[in-house]
Amino acid sequence: MASSLPLHHPTHCFTSNPKLKNFHHGCSPRPSYSFATDTQNHAKPIRATTESPPYPIYQPPQVEESVSELEPADPDFYKIGYVRSMRAYGIDFKEGPDGFGVYAAKDVEPLRRARVIMEIPLELMLTISQKLPWMFFPDIIPIGHPIFDIINSTNPETDWDLRLACLLLYAFDREDNFWQLYGDFLPSVEECTSLLLATEEDLLELQDAKLASAMREQQHRALEFWEKNWHSSVPLKIKRLARDPERFIWAVGIAQSRCISMQLRIGALVQDSNMLIPYADMLNHSFQPNCFFHWRFKDRMLEVMINAGQRIRKGDPMTVDYLSGQKNDMFMQRYGFSSSVNPWDVIQFRGNARIHLDSFLSVFNISGLPEEYYHNTGRLSNDGDTFVDGAVIAAARTIPTWSDGDVPPIPSMERKAVKELQEECQQMLAEFPTTSEQDQKILDSMPEARRTLEAAIKYRLHRKLFIEKVIQALEIYQERILF
Amino acid sequence: MASVSATWLYQDRGLRVIASADGFVAGKPYSKNFQSSFVGSFPAGILQVRLRLSNSQRRALLLPCIKCEKEDESFKEVSVERPPYYSYMDSTSGQLEPASGARASIPGQDLWPEGTASRVRAARAPEPTGKSLGSPSYGKNPGSRRKYKTSVAAPESSNVSLESSDPLESESSVDTTEEPSAVSSDYVVYETEPDQEETGYGLDKKLGLPHPFVDPKVKKPIENPLTSEELWWNWKKPEKEQWSRWQRRRPDAETVFLKAMAETGQVKLYGELPTLTETSLYRARRHLFKEERVRAEQDRLQRIGPIAYYSEWVKAWKRDTSLEAVQKHFEETGEDENTQLIEMFSHQTDREYRIMMGTDIRIPRDPLAMRMKEDQIKQIWGGDPVYPTVNYIQDPDEVIDFRGPDFHEPTPSMLAYLKEHGKIISREELEKILANEKTEELEMTDVDEAMARAVDIGEDDDEGEDSDVEVEEEAEEKITRNWSVLKSTPELRKSKGKPKKEIPLSLEEAVDDSENLTDFLLDFEEED
Repeated sequence: MASSLPLHHPTHCFTSNPKLKNFHHGCSPRPSYSFATDTQNHAKPIRATTESPPYPIYQPPQVEESVSELEPADPDFYKIGYVRSMRAYGIDFKEGPDGFGVYAAKDVEPLRRARVIMEIPLELMLTISQKLPWMFFPDIIPIGHPIFDIINSTNPETDWDLRLACLLLYAFDREDNFWQLYGDFLPSVEECTSLLLATEEDLLELQDAKLASAMREQQHRALEFWEKNWHSSVPLKIKRLARDPERFIWAVGIAQSRCISMQLRIGALVQDSNMLIPYADMLNHSFQPNCFFHWRFKDRMLEVMINAGQRIRKGDPMTVDYLSGQKNDMFMQRYGFSSSVNPWDVIQFRGNARIHLDSFLSVFNISGLPEEYYHNTGRLSNDGDTFVDGAVIAAARTIPTWSDGDVPPIPSMERKAVKELQEECQQMLAEFPTTSEQDQKILDSMPEARRTLEAAIKYRLHRKLFIEKVIQALEIYQERILF
Repeated sequence: MASVSATWLYQDRGLRVIASADGFVAGKPYSKNFQSSFVGSFPAGILQVRLRLSNSQRRALLLPCIKCEKEDESFKEVSVERPPYYSYMDSTSGQLEPASGARASIPGQDLWPEGTASRVRAARAPEPTGKSLGSPSYGKNPGSRRKYKTSVAAPESSNVSLESSDPLESESSVDTTEEPSAVSSDYVVYETEPDQEETGYGLDKKLGLPHPFVDPKVKKPIENPLTSEELWWNWKKPEKEQWSRWQRRRPDAETVFLKAMAETGQVKLYGELPTLTETSLYRARRHLFKEERVRAEQDRLQRIGPIAYYSEWVKAWKRDTSLEAVQKHFEETGEDENTQLIEMFSHQTDREYRIMMGTDIRIPRDPLAMRMKEDQIKQIWGGDPVYPTVNYIQDPDEVIDFRGPDFHEPTPSMLAYLKEHGKIISREELEKILANEKTEELEMTDVDEAMARAVDIGEDDDEGEDSDVEVEEEAEEKITRNWSVLKSTPELRKSKGKPKKEIPLSLEEAVDDSENLTDFLLDFEEED
């Protein structure tokens, strides 16, 4: 689980692009590369993130979000938090067809200090510590309530999402709890894209057997848990929390996708905990996030802060990195969305062909250490080269490469290797039952599909797009390689 | 009755006339009777006396008011001094500051204590405006207040949600084009009448008109009233064994009254004993009824005049008491109302007076109190203070015998008592105990002699017997603690020292072997 521990020494990744400077703050260094929206181009800034039910994905540059689809969220959404001393500074909550998102309400200059955009008190959250003894902050479970026994019966290592789901359902039932009000803004059963709610047909649409089986297992596990603890002779206190398994599985989906795990210090106690945080989970995901979470232990508030040195324009989406360095299937499994520009995506190449890493990187102006590749636009003006994006970075990581000091690549071998790799990619693409165009057409043809179905189709579409991009990148590499 | 404030002269032992203002006295033709104006010493709390004026004198009561000769005079405010400055430019802050009451300047943000900045920022954050369209479902329907609902209804919902965008929020261009008429029209739209109007009981209740407590249409008669034992709210604790009924808790006067009323059938209760609700209801009703009655009485007094009013309490007054008769009498004889009143009261008997005043408790005035049972009366007002129960009624001529069982032994035997309680022991016992103590001493000295004989070396045994004895008794622990003893009693040291001397010990073993470091403090004098 990703834990964004706040370190106060940002890892600086300098790019000399004045417009988009991505300074990163986080425990694990991230690739920072900007989109090639150059100042000369005056291209419309590509909306890197769209909203989908709480998490936005990058849209591939073809699809542009029309701004008018975003509406300000229901004013009660912020009001219920404001009344309970949660604050949001300089941001708007907007809602689009894909869900909620947090957008900047004004421009922010790059600052030396990280700015707070949201602060959420502990009383609004639902927190369970990760390790035994399980402690709840705020402690809403009364002693002797049977839900506590249910939580106690879970496996301490693996069942964190079930515990959170139980806590969430209990909070819905508890009078005067904030989550009774906030739950109205969570994605409902129909809107939730978590694959736990996916039907068999959706799972088949994934075209990925491993992921499908993993999801089936998860579903089965959740269902089993429900059956074990919500059998018919269970007291009403428990029964009314989840009358049908669908509600429980929805709660597990919400818990998995919206859980933020952080190390909290409360008083003198330091613990890792899984938290459901009301407004912070409306932040969308991005591979170049501009916000991070910070726990202010003095008054027990979670702060959402803008990365220091990051310039934000009005209307920019505020994003956070959900999982650092995971493939698309992990995202799909946990959050229910995927991205075609995941810079950590992996293709398993089976052959022996390798290309020269340094020349590949230099062709695309990717610099940085392998853990934090980024696209270096700037000095080397690329005249609107918008080709390099997360997929190319991922390619740089996953394509088998060799690099041996100063040894130059031999052209013929390079070309051969490139061709082999491209063939392998084509083969992989051929293994899929549908092509990416077909997938895109399917998606366009059913605007009212079930969310999970849509997500599944998008997942395989992204996978194919990624592979196609890799092929394209290899092609360009071949052209541009300097010998 | 006591609180009825009425114009009233009362006739005490003497003839006291009380007038409240001299001015009126002066105006009266028969003022000589009222010369002794007596102000002030009213019997406390019983009466308010107000002199009632006849109509002819009312006009003179108008207080003189002070009038100015000139009506329109506007005074110009002229002050001698120049007005002081009220504000100035502060040198510290550079801003306008009031001259008086200025506080010291607030330090800048970098001097604030930790956390203040965030609190200030949180407090300055503007409150969200805007009215929500939906309402919370409190955990029943998660996701119910999202605007973009399920994709099944996507086309309609997107239109709907676009239309339902919040008019107060930023997108004002859309709104101003759509609804200019509603905002700027001059016509006021009235709300249509609600379809259902309240009638009868509901209307009374809404308007505040007098209405019964429960809607008579809905009201159900109390069927099958339960006994106290059966009522679920009867939480009476069982009366413990007490030697007298006076030890139980006394009920509230109102509860008892209400119970009595229920028993006489004036009021219907749900059980035997009234509950708190019923009691408070009774209290409220009593208050209201009393108010009503008081007001009615006052109105009656106003209407029929005091003489007719108070003639109720004067049985012997047979004359006509109506207002006209009084007026006629006044015109004939010149006795005004007060005089006639006095004359009427001179025909009143003592008993009647006491009844009217309500000062005699032996004359019950409350019809309910007259009908209450004796035990109920006793619950509220207590019984007779002299003879509260029958058991206490004594024959005044009775000669009481205070003699007890040991009547023939006036002086008790103290010795036996003390012996019995173990405060005294007999001489034999005492001697026995002493003997026991003595024999112990003898034993100890024997041991001591044996020990003394065991000493070979001609050491001084003056420290001797006592310490040795004690030491002997408690064996090693004492020895090791009192290292001085060890030092001075060589035989003890010897017994301990032998194993030491036999085996050459290393330092660590020696340290381990010793109890404390004082073991190593050897007395060099005695070492040979």
